Amino acid sequence: MLLTFAQWIQFTDFFTYVRSSTFFYPIVLSLHMCGIAMFGGMILLGDMRMLGMGMTRFKVSDFLDQLKTPKRYALLLMVTMGAILAGSKAEEYYYNTFFRVKMALLLGVALHGLVFRSLYARAAAWDEARVIPSQAKLAAALSLLLWTGLVIAGRGIGYIEPPLDKIHARLEQGISYFR
Amino acid sequence: MLLLQTAPTNPLNDATWLFPALECWHILGFALSIGTIAIIDFRLLGIGMMRQTAAELTKDLAPWTLFGLASMFLSGPLMFATDPDMYYLNLSFQVKMVFLLLAIVIHYTIRRKAITAGTAGKALACVSLALWAGVLGGGIFIGFFA
Repeated sequence: MLLTFAQWIQFTDFFTYVRSSTFFYPIVLSLHMCGIAMFGGMILLGDMRMLGMGMTRFKVSDFLDQLKTPKRYALLLMVTMGAILAGSKAEEYYYNTFFRVKMALLLGVALHGLVFRSLYARAAAWDEARVIPSQAKLAAALSLLLWTGLVIAGRGIGYIEPPLDKIHARLEQGISYFR
Repeated sequence: MLLLQTAPTNPLNDATWLFPALECWHILGFALSIGTIAIIDFRLLGIGMMRQTAAELTKDLAPWTLFGLASMFLSGPLMFATDPDMYYLNLSFQVKMVFLLLAIVIHYTIRRKAITAGTAGKALACVSLALWAGVLGGGIFIGFFA
């Protein structure tokens, strides 16, 4: 079903245009990088603050709160551009291991948000505490790991190109790509 | 010495994972440098971090920016060294270098002075963001337009 969806979406007019364009595709990729630069920097600093390794002149809750709006804009840019890129080569990416790892890591990010939701909501309570609770440090360390992994997996996507014609030929003979 | 070799003799090309690893390092480096610069530009545009001045913010963020720039300037030349002739003649690379030079010079002269004096405004923030976007775009275009 996912494969059918991937094949359908990449052949819509819009994504066909994206894939075959000379300038549009690299411009979208560049804007994806701009989103990564901005969002990545903000995530990194926020996590460093939570670990007590930087920006210590700020209270944790104050720093996270003030970063919320610019982080949202950066995330919006990054995700929108990423979705356009993914849609344009959806079938190929369906078979791309790095893309699959990246999606799994994104799921990890969502879970991280869900699991630590109440922890982040209590951030103001740490402001008066002498040491940052270890649970908060764990959340920050996991966030750093997830996002570094996302960068690595994202860069990896471009290094493998599943041979679609071979895959199609094998599928016609009834042999699955995933043995 | 790595910089003086051609693609076939450069040891950086021996391991398949080395170049992508440099790329990831480069990406993390620019996330830190351009990310911290963008936080201040957003502040100048009135988006976020409004409870302190841009000057105060710069004081706290400057070491992170520098650390990120250092990462970029270590990983970048190493990638350049893997195939110097190609990069040197690549139009996108040349454009990127012009954007980079302008972005760095403006960052440490006009922008820093204006922020310290409290006269930096939205125009300067837009110029800064546009120049760094040019650097990133130029980097991406290297692989698309020689």
